[in-house]
Amino acid sequence: MEYPRQITVIQATIVIFSSVIGVGVLALPHIVVTMGDTGSPFVTFLGMCIAFIGLAFLTLLGMRFPNDSIVHYSEKLIGKWLASIGSITIISFYAILTALTSREFGEVVITAVLRETPLEVTVIVMLLIASLASRNGITVFTYIHHFYFPFILFPALLIVVLSLKNANILYLQPIFGNTQENMLQGTLTVAALFQGYFIFTLVIPHMRRPERAMIASIFGTLLSGGLYILIVIASLSVFGPEELKVLLWPTLELAKMTSLPGQILERLDAAFLAIWVTAVFTTLLSTYTLTIHLLSKLFRLRDHKMLSFFLLPLVFVLAMLPKNILHMYEVIEIVGRLGLLITVVYPLLLFVIALVRKKRGDVNVKKNKEQTS
Amino acid sequence: MLNQRWKKYEKKETKKLQQTIPNVDLEKHKNDKLSGNLEDTIAFIKKYLGENDDFYIHHFRVFGKFQAAIIFLSSLVDKRTINLEVLKPLMYIPQHLEGKTIEQDQVNEILLNDILYNSQGILEDHLADLIDVLLFGRTVVLIEGINEAITIETLQVDKRSIEQPPTDQVIRGPRDGFIESLQTNLALIRFRLHSPDFRVKITTTGKESKVKVGICYIKGIAHPDLVKEVNDRISAIEIDAVLDVGYLEQLIEDHHFSPFPQIANTERPDKVVAQMLEGRVCILIDGSPFALIVPAVFTQFYQSTEDYSERFLMGTLVRIIRLVALLFALVFTSLYVSIISFNPELIPTDFAVAVAGGRAGVPFPTVIEVLIMEISMEVLREATIRLPQQVGGALSIVGVLVIGQAAVSAGFVSPITVVVIALTTIGSFATPAYNAAIALRMLRFPLVILAGIFGLYGVMVGLILIINHMLSLKSFGVPYMAPIVPGNFEGMKDTLIRAPLWWMPKRPSFFHSDNKTRLSKDSLSKIKEPPSNTLDPMKVGNERWDDTDGISSTNNSDPSDDRHI
Repeated sequence: MEYPRQITVIQATIVIFSSVIGVGVLALPHIVVTMGDTGSPFVTFLGMCIAFIGLAFLTLLGMRFPNDSIVHYSEKLIGKWLASIGSITIISFYAILTALTSREFGEVVITAVLRETPLEVTVIVMLLIASLASRNGITVFTYIHHFYFPFILFPALLIVVLSLKNANILYLQPIFGNTQENMLQGTLTVAALFQGYFIFTLVIPHMRRPERAMIASIFGTLLSGGLYILIVIASLSVFGPEELKVLLWPTLELAKMTSLPGQILERLDAAFLAIWVTAVFTTLLSTYTLTIHLLSKLFRLRDHKMLSFFLLPLVFVLAMLPKNILHMYEVIEIVGRLGLLITVVYPLLLFVIALVRKKRGDVNVKKNKEQTS
Repeated sequence: MLNQRWKKYEKKETKKLQQTIPNVDLEKHKNDKLSGNLEDTIAFIKKYLGENDDFYIHHFRVFGKFQAAIIFLSSLVDKRTINLEVLKPLMYIPQHLEGKTIEQDQVNEILLNDILYNSQGILEDHLADLIDVLLFGRTVVLIEGINEAITIETLQVDKRSIEQPPTDQVIRGPRDGFIESLQTNLALIRFRLHSPDFRVKITTTGKESKVKVGICYIKGIAHPDLVKEVNDRISAIEIDAVLDVGYLEQLIEDHHFSPFPQIANTERPDKVVAQMLEGRVCILIDGSPFALIVPAVFTQFYQSTEDYSERFLMGTLVRIIRLVALLFALVFTSLYVSIISFNPELIPTDFAVAVAGGRAGVPFPTVIEVLIMEISMEVLREATIRLPQQVGGALSIVGVLVIGQAAVSAGFVSPITVVVIALTTIGSFATPAYNAAIALRMLRFPLVILAGIFGLYGVMVGLILIINHMLSLKSFGVPYMAPIVPGNFEGMKDTLIRAPLWWMPKRPSFFHSDNKTRLSKDSLSKIKEPPSNTLDPMKVGNERWDDTDGISSTNNSDPSDDRHI
């Protein structure tokens, strides 16, 4: 058995960051600008706040029950049958999310670089590397996130910085947008992009000091939300709201426009996409790990390894269901917004019930730690 | 007819079974003791060793009085020692004992304490042990009527001299390397480590080889559980022979199917000492000039002892260059393939045109071209290692001509491919650890194939698979990518860069050493003091002013400044 409590606050922050940042970054400016217009950065900020509410309640629950994941403590709070309905909903939601993420990235890859490769191949390749990696325990899972962190953060920042020379600050005004009618919708859509944070429910029981989980969730949200806002600002200031509405993946266009100083690489889109494979991989890994770990916890299995390949065909079929790229984005939007019920409202409800029923987990982690070590 | 044949077969079978294996037979006599009857004991020894032509028994009389025999294997022993230090003193009664009568029951004690000029004589009373002792090159003296035998260390095996090791070469640093003798190797370590904390535990492995295995560590620095684990893993080995320390490596490593080495090896005693001082355990065996170092982490495979001998800036630079070379060796060809065949728009237009021009007459796609060249390069390299040195030079000339010039002018490959292959090959030579370099060399091929199928996306997928694998590896419980992941600040000072020694006053914590301090706080503060400019011209030449305690005067001995006058 591996030593169960090894994850530090920094690692937990990184896990949240790289679970959130994924393929969503490519389409985010386009999606948000259709609803928020020039107010997109503000809308992104609001979306981040809503996502944080969900994460905060999840973290509070995790700190209240530092040894359990959501599957177990929800059983203690609302009873076995009700909780198992909730857990199954979460599990199937994340299976769908995994499918959609891999499908979306598969579409990006076959559109942008590998034009003659069948979609099925790119999707199955991404799912395969995620499921192979998900066979590891939670400690190795965090190691993987930790290692790829710089490869996600710095290329994204580089694109933002290099694109600034084409920026036009007028495109960013008015800051709150011309109309506010679609703003709520936009906020919800952006919040849906943060749903990878739910992996935190698996991480808290393995944290060295679960009582500091809140710090990780605050910094994790700030980091990922900050990067989202920066990318929205960068693409908005370069392309302007009207142009953005017709670009499907503005971040990729941004990379296309920039070139490294010194003319080493003339354009960065293919290189950026290649590096972005890691970001998508970490997101997929998180959602897929969440799916199979929660499932194995629900069925009280001792080992999750079997499930990692068992679920793979199912997820693959789910990924192939949307008819085309436009249909896929419609599905993503609907699923994302419905998902907010699971990722924000469900933890909130659970926390309120925990408060009302005055239920608490075994908070005495230290004692527990000594026993296990 | 058939029946007869069957009977014959049966007979053969029984005959086979009757043949005794000395090694197994000896086990039965494990607890038998010497009887004191000289002839019985000799018969017993002869039964096991008598068939060998290098087995010698010499009968003589101790002090001309007691019937005795001296037994040894002539190929293993130093005959001069036997003649001068064993036989000679045994035959003459020394002056201080002359005239005294010696009783038979005293003989042994007197022989060991008063007569023999040898520090390594011991008494042995088990029959089976006598055989063992003989096989390790000791000489046995048996005396009639005494139920103990005297055994004397007389082992002499020729060994090569201590030379600079061919692997792990350095420009600056100690030049001695291990040889095949465990005793000499231990001497080389002890020579560097005059500390009572240094421990060596010697056991034997291999049913037939019975080779000596030395497990070395520094008590108080190496974690006791690690030492125990190493001992357990080695003592669990039951194999016929261990001919090289590499056998042990394969039997005690954690992940057998990983291409990455999880145990480091070295021929350098200074490296062994340095690694033990970080809290690792080293394993040496008789018959191999290599020492195993456990646990190993990935970063140490591109580190060299020279990094620490040189000043830290140079050490850091060289280390970064080595890391770049390592990355080159792994990904450069696959990046080339994917950019040329999938994303030529990435590289500057002029260069893309030049590449296209060079590729004009080449019949194959880039990936095939690169694979052919890579494989022929590997073949060439392997051939150069195996060939006798006299032929090696000729081969490398042929190789250079064939792979470089002729292949290009024949229109077989493009010139840029040759450049890329050359860069990766040179890159793979820059890694100090040969076994880690092989791992990366071999992983290059799947990456090239992935690049040929999926372009940059494929390379990335391949790299993710490799890195995920590395992140999941563990060597004796230490994560393979430590101290980068999981991050350890103390250890990180010695991975990408080689921080100055005074920045690393503590041992890397991922070995969980009890004794953490490497550089004491006192010397740290001494180092931070401003240097005392002993021979500053102002201080040496002029003693008009007070000693400024190591700080040079404010005008820095500038003669035009006359504030002090």
